[in-house]
Amino acid sequence: MKKEQAAPVPFRDFRRIRRPETGVGPSPAGATRHLVDWTVGKLLFCAALVAIAAVFFIIVFLLRDGYQIVLETGLWNFLTGAEWNPAGQHPAYGVLPLITGTLLVMALAMAIAVPLSIGSAVFIAEIAGSGTRTIIKPAIELLAGIPSVVYGFFGLILLTDWIRIGFDQPSGSSWLAGSILLAIMAIPTITSVAEDAISSVPREFREGSLALGATHWQTIKNIIVPGALSGISAAIILGMGRAIGETMAVLMVTGNAAVIPDPITNVFSPVRTLTGTLGIEMGEVAFGSTHYHALFGVAVVLLFITLVVNSTARIIVSRMQGTARSGPHRALTAAASRIPHAASAPFGRVVSPRTSQRCAFLLISLSVAIVLAALGVILAEIVVNGAGAISWEFLTGSPSDLGREGGIFPAIAGTLYLVGGALAIALPLGIATAVYLIEYTAETPLTRSIRAAVDLLNGTPSIVFGLFGFAFLVLFLGFGVSLIAGQITLGLMILPTIIRTTEEALRSIPGSFREGSYALGATKWQTISRVVLPPALPGILTGAILSIGRAAGETAPIMFTAAVFSSRFLPSSLTEPVMALPYHLFVLTTSIPGATPQSYGTAFVLLLLVLSIYLAAILVRRRYNHAKVM
Amino acid sequence: MDNSTILETRDLNLWYGQKHALIDITVRIPKKTVTALIGPSGCGKSTLLRCCNRMNDLIDSSRITGNVLFNGEDIYDGHADAYAVREKIGMVFQKPNPFPKSIYENVAYGPRIHGVREKGALDRIVEESLKGAALWDEVKDRLHEPALALSGGQQQRLCIARSLAVEPEVILMDEPCSALDPIATGKIEDLIIRLARNYTVVIVTHNMQQAARVSEYTGFMYMGELIEFDETSRIFEDPGEELTENYITGRFG
Repeated sequence: MKKEQAAPVPFRDFRRIRRPETGVGPSPAGATRHLVDWTVGKLLFCAALVAIAAVFFIIVFLLRDGYQIVLETGLWNFLTGAEWNPAGQHPAYGVLPLITGTLLVMALAMAIAVPLSIGSAVFIAEIAGSGTRTIIKPAIELLAGIPSVVYGFFGLILLTDWIRIGFDQPSGSSWLAGSILLAIMAIPTITSVAEDAISSVPREFREGSLALGATHWQTIKNIIVPGALSGISAAIILGMGRAIGETMAVLMVTGNAAVIPDPITNVFSPVRTLTGTLGIEMGEVAFGSTHYHALFGVAVVLLFITLVVNSTARIIVSRMQGTARSGPHRALTAAASRIPHAASAPFGRVVSPRTSQRCAFLLISLSVAIVLAALGVILAEIVVNGAGAISWEFLTGSPSDLGREGGIFPAIAGTLYLVGGALAIALPLGIATAVYLIEYTAETPLTRSIRAAVDLLNGTPSIVFGLFGFAFLVLFLGFGVSLIAGQITLGLMILPTIIRTTEEALRSIPGSFREGSYALGATKWQTISRVVLPPALPGILTGAILSIGRAAGETAPIMFTAAVFSSRFLPSSLTEPVMALPYHLFVLTTSIPGATPQSYGTAFVLLLLVLSIYLAAILVRRRYNHAKVM
Repeated sequence: MDNSTILETRDLNLWYGQKHALIDITVRIPKKTVTALIGPSGCGKSTLLRCCNRMNDLIDSSRITGNVLFNGEDIYDGHADAYAVREKIGMVFQKPNPFPKSIYENVAYGPRIHGVREKGALDRIVEESLKGAALWDEVKDRLHEPALALSGGQQQRLCIARSLAVEPEVILMDEPCSALDPIATGKIEDLIIRLARNYTVVIVTHNMQQAARVSEYTGFMYMGELIEFDETSRIFEDPGEELTENYITGRFG
């Protein structure tokens, strides 16, 4: 193909349609483009600073009110004092029983959750067929969608009774009850992170092991699980973080006596956690009193513990990314040296590989069955009893007789108001922050601190947001207990989720799209708004839906900032308090005797609302994944 | 060289962090010709190409000295507008990178961002551009189908059509055929030769036969330096430098 021989195809020259010949120097149009670009960049930058500002204010306000307790009792006495009794004749503010309670409940919960979760993760990633997987995976994820107050309600109504009767105890409200609930709540977190880790062990390692004659179980045990070990540890630690920060479910079932169990292994003893203490006492404390300061001190301790736990997880995850491929290599070599030995001495084995595989798979299936049974029992209990309590009047009426009569319409509407407002605040801020982080800057100290702030917000227990909202929005800014205070608090709480999912969605857009657009002379903002954001939209949408679900089910952040128990009317302005479904359920269950049908009804409505939101997210994600394959 | 120069670099140096990637490059690219840049991997030919429309601006660690002149204007001058530079000097990449939009929207994207809104004008630009990229006959009945459904060779021609649609004067091509099969490669090569009637094309290629087939001028680069730049026939038949000859004859690279 010589160039002289190239076939002369008719080719029309372009008529200059758009503009006269120009150079590449400054022009009015160019100036406008640059101004737009500059302005957008600055706006996004400001949005990204909000995350840092939020963390700054949270820490300042917790410390401002918390450090005074240290002045009053001394740091050592505060941390190691064995008595917590703020209401007594001689008030005592020792957080040791609370820290012990938190750690005990968490430890037992982990002892229950870790084997079940790893079993489920192995089952989903390795054993289940694709059909089974598409059912079991979302089912376990649904557990994460159930609001904690609904878990608490279930615990209070059923679990504590079972424990009381089953173990012949005077009361079922105990360490054990709290740990079981926390275990169920931590299982979805641990399972999904561990499953990701297991699935990302490269195929070659699996095939390498099978090609040596190893059974599937030997491959899982010797190659896959060791290869995914750091991911699994991160999963466990993230689950711990979730368990430590949990408030409502624990508060409702642990009995809340601020004592250290005696003996320390007595799982039927009541305990009280740091979060539970805040949840119970914050509502009744006198502003500015020693007790008030002590509670902020508790919040600082709580924040510190979660911070340590979450940073440990992050360090493990970042190490894992560095060594992900070397681990399985070593394991594979080790396995290679073991397997032929086993084969050459078949009679030396007590159990044949086939039998041990059968036993292992049985145990794994059993753990999945237990998790699914827990989900089934909770859903069945609430759906069966709750559906009966639903009537037109219940859905559209206002409560009367302390919620024993009438309906929950103001609570439904209030929840929608709260969630809508939170989303209106967090969605633009979160998307802008993520766009700034991914598209506008390289890795600098500033972006690192923004990311650290987002991580910190993400690990902050919801009750701490509630405390911050109370101290900063309700008292300091003078909003009072109001819709707007609740919306801002919830907005801050869901901000990290939105930032992270948006970041992830933006990262998945190939750089070649951006290059293609820039090469046509597009500005940064044109490239982002027309080429990068549209395909990232489903991912962003999934993040938004998940945060809606989270915001709708949360109780702790709105307990002191926005919610009232009973209100005949809807709020007419942002400065009025509102009813909300989770808070309504909490008060009905814990403080109003004789309102059980209404409790079931409220739990049912709340569950329906939140689970349908989660289901929507799962469907969006599934459609998105199909679309990506194309 | 009777052709006038459209693109010219003077003592161009570029660093990626500590790495000195381009060393004292001085070259004049003649107007409405095909110029090929050849050389072993990592010699800086793609980097030089990306300097010509300021795509290297997107890499944070890059630092540059010297000048790049387009029609006599320095595109790295403080007053120069990187976006206007890229509008005049388009680029086609190694891997076809159509946007996840329809065929029509891919081509219309450029004119749209530069302010063409009228439907009739857009339709005309899309048609002309697709014809210019020899793709029109294959896609005219399915303009609104996703671009990602096209074959690799068609996608690359779509990317060429996309860059034609903003009416550039220079089209930079960074190994445009390296991801394509021989038949698709042949079509793109024909197209490149035809484009040179109206545009200036600079193509980076690993394939020396390709350089010999399509280009009128060839530059040979080695370790960040431009070793030799001359008419393609001279470079391949009677290179002035031993290094060039060694590379052409396949002794290294």
